[in-house]
Amino acid sequence: MSSSNSSSRFSGMAERANELFPMDWELLRHAGAEPVPYHLKKWWFCLGGTPMVLFVVQVITGIMLTFYYVPSPDHAYASVETITHGVRFGWFIRSIHMWSSKFMIVAVFLHMLRVFFTRAYRNPRQLNWMVGVMLLGLTMTFGFTGYSLVYEQLSFWGATVGCNLASALPVIGPYVGDFLRGGPEIGAQTLTRFFMLHVAILPIVAFLLLSLHVMVIRLHGVTELQFEGEVITDDNRFFRFWPEHVTMEILVGVLLMYLLAILALIFPAGLGAQADPTTTPAHIKPEWYFYFNFRLLKLTSLKMSVALTGFLGGLLFFWPFIDGWIEKRLGNRSDRIVVLIGAVAFLAFLGLTVWEAVAAH
Amino acid sequence: MTLNMKRWIVAGLSFLFLAALLVVAMQESKRHRIEEGLEPVVTKTNKGCVDCHRTDNPALVMEWEHSQHAIYGVGCVDCHEADEGDIDGWMHEGVFMSVLVTPKDCSECHVREFEEFSRSHHARAGEIIMSLDNVLAIKAASTPDNPADAINGCWQCHGTIIDFERDENGEIIRTGKENRPVIDSNTWPNSGMGRFNPDGSKGSCHACHSRHSFDVRIARSPDNCGKCHMGPDHPQIEIFNESKHGIAYRANVDRMALDKKEWILGRDYAAAPTCATCHISGHMTPQGVEVGNSHDIGERISWTLRPKVSSKLNQVTFTDGYQKDFPHTKAIPAVGDVVMTHEKVVENFKLTTKDVERTVASVKTWEERRKAMTMACRNCHNDHFIDNFYQQFDDLVNLYNDKFGQPSLDIMNELTADGVVDSGAPFSTELDWVYFELWHHEGRRARHGASMMGPDYTHWHGMYEVAHNFYNEFLPLVVEAAEEHSHAMGRKWKTKVDQLLSSPDHAWVKGLSPEEAQALAAEYKARYNQ
Repeated sequence: MSSSNSSSRFSGMAERANELFPMDWELLRHAGAEPVPYHLKKWWFCLGGTPMVLFVVQVITGIMLTFYYVPSPDHAYASVETITHGVRFGWFIRSIHMWSSKFMIVAVFLHMLRVFFTRAYRNPRQLNWMVGVMLLGLTMTFGFTGYSLVYEQLSFWGATVGCNLASALPVIGPYVGDFLRGGPEIGAQTLTRFFMLHVAILPIVAFLLLSLHVMVIRLHGVTELQFEGEVITDDNRFFRFWPEHVTMEILVGVLLMYLLAILALIFPAGLGAQADPTTTPAHIKPEWYFYFNFRLLKLTSLKMSVALTGFLGGLLFFWPFIDGWIEKRLGNRSDRIVVLIGAVAFLAFLGLTVWEAVAAH
Repeated sequence: MTLNMKRWIVAGLSFLFLAALLVVAMQESKRHRIEEGLEPVVTKTNKGCVDCHRTDNPALVMEWEHSQHAIYGVGCVDCHEADEGDIDGWMHEGVFMSVLVTPKDCSECHVREFEEFSRSHHARAGEIIMSLDNVLAIKAASTPDNPADAINGCWQCHGTIIDFERDENGEIIRTGKENRPVIDSNTWPNSGMGRFNPDGSKGSCHACHSRHSFDVRIARSPDNCGKCHMGPDHPQIEIFNESKHGIAYRANVDRMALDKKEWILGRDYAAAPTCATCHISGHMTPQGVEVGNSHDIGERISWTLRPKVSSKLNQVTFTDGYQKDFPHTKAIPAVGDVVMTHEKVVENFKLTTKDVERTVASVKTWEERRKAMTMACRNCHNDHFIDNFYQQFDDLVNLYNDKFGQPSLDIMNELTADGVVDSGAPFSTELDWVYFELWHHEGRRARHGASMMGPDYTHWHGMYEVAHNFYNEFLPLVVEAAEEHSHAMGRKWKTKVDQLLSSPDHAWVKGLSPEEAQALAAEYKARYNQ
């Protein structure tokens, strides 16, 4: 067979494929050649991509877990037990899923810290910051619903506290609480609803918001940051999204997988006592990322803590506009003030989290 | 602010974030260990005790660390701290404490359990000190200087009056740098069910809830009850082991959920009942409600199987919580009636009877008590089964009462009236011993055997032994004792015994009818192919 025959056969196949799927390859090449600013060569600026990598890990391991999980109070715990002790590599997949969920929340926090302190949310990128805050809330909701599905004693009572918090929302609270629980009490309906939220509704919303987040980044382009002393010329100001930046993200992703696998091996996901709705445990605590709210709840009251959380969440959501207002008022000094506010707020968050962790009650 | 500086700020905050997460992880891990019962909570108050006694009594501390008390932070001082003025208390390492932990101490937290227990049969187990059994142990089996049989035997189950070593002036002897009161070794260690404590309370929670682990598995285990409910006079554990209930329990002990916090038959377990299941623990009703669960051990008992002649028991509760059983042969007082009661109380470390007038608050008839028991039975059996079981059980008790219990009691009473038997000198004749074993050992075994579905104990260890004793030992000894008293008395009792044996219930001793003898012979011939 001559090479000319072979190449003409392939070009024929490509033409036929193009007929069946008329893709504009030039557009894809153009999209892949998106210029990425110089500072993104530094690995710590890749934290925005890590939640995306972890989201993919969560989707894959989550689908594998649903093969065995049964969302009913009578069987949920037993099915998790089967996954953990019966299914080959079930414990590993479950442990990766658990650790990945924790990593995802940490990655979102770190990404937001970087965006906040570099004030990368400023005009015209306010919308994307708001989408990001929504993704943070979504990630925490993922964690909350997922932990509840295990149906062990602590997760059950954590869900109870979470639903009670939701019920205390002004006006819509009772309806949200009833919707989450599927009635006035936590029961069979609650588990089904949490399951549906966790495996269907939240992933769809997360996918849409992530797509929007990435699309807006592409439309605006990444904020360019130049460190002091760095020499950036027209030649090195940008590098290519594909393959350079994607390769870096893949490397970070591989590193993450190493870490997840090591943690899953050394600290596999455990299984406490089965949920017992008749017996309240001595110590009820939600997952660590809700310690902040839980401490507020203990320091104030149910309604006050919900109001405070709502207020602080609102501040975070609309921060780009507040920042703009501060900048108008203070001019150049605003940079220091914003950094100070951010540092104090984050330290307060950490302080309340640690306080709740060490407090006996 | 330069970007480099911001980078350091972000880096610093990230490290703080990591540090915070590590603190959270450590605390969560600790909390999980506590929840799983792997890590005890040692409060500041108890730390000193735990630190010292971990060296002095390591296993004791280890057992406590394994307990639910430890998980909830209830420690040494919480239970051992004495009230001001307690005669058993002394200052130890800055705490006024006592080695004795009484039901009153436990009632600081377990109020309901204390109230239920205090009015129960269990709390009165110590009243045996005034009974015939104690005479046997103190007099017949011990010496005036050494009542060791009673101390090591009866009192270890029934309880004793806790007393102290005293000097010639009657003052409590104290010892050591801390002036610790010395408890009379005749009275302690003792964890008898009806122990009389210096603080006025009765009983010892430790009897069932072994210190210092207080493990519910022990309390729910039949072996726990079997420490006392065993042997020739009340072999409940042996009967349980023989019964289908006991067989099912041993085969399925891993499905009994003995360590569950709540333990409701029909909800938390179903494999088998234990003593606790039927007598004090909770169970489901056909309406799906949880009931039961009371530390009043006699609430569901409709017969008393202990005395010479059994009777059904109506339970009368007085306005002050005191309870008294009225045999079904006696009239039951009405609510509001004032009744004279004879309560056993300790005064000056001696057990005495105190007459107290009390007003009746409520009455629970023997039928109601039986119904309470059948509610537990219903979790596994239907009404027809339960009714027929109780019919079989009642028939056996009535048989014992009518054929042996009442006739032998009547004989002993009349012999006493005739002066043949000296009521002031129990166990002085062979007849006393034989009669005692007839009702106290063999008669009880038969009745207990029937009550718990132990066929061998009902018949071979029970009614067979009763009949053997009655016909071959008791009745001949009655005539012999009467003959020893006087020839006239001997003739009288020979005639009375002959009359008794001629009655339809006992006429078999004269021999079978020719038809019955022939049928029996034919049966044996066929059975053994002769």
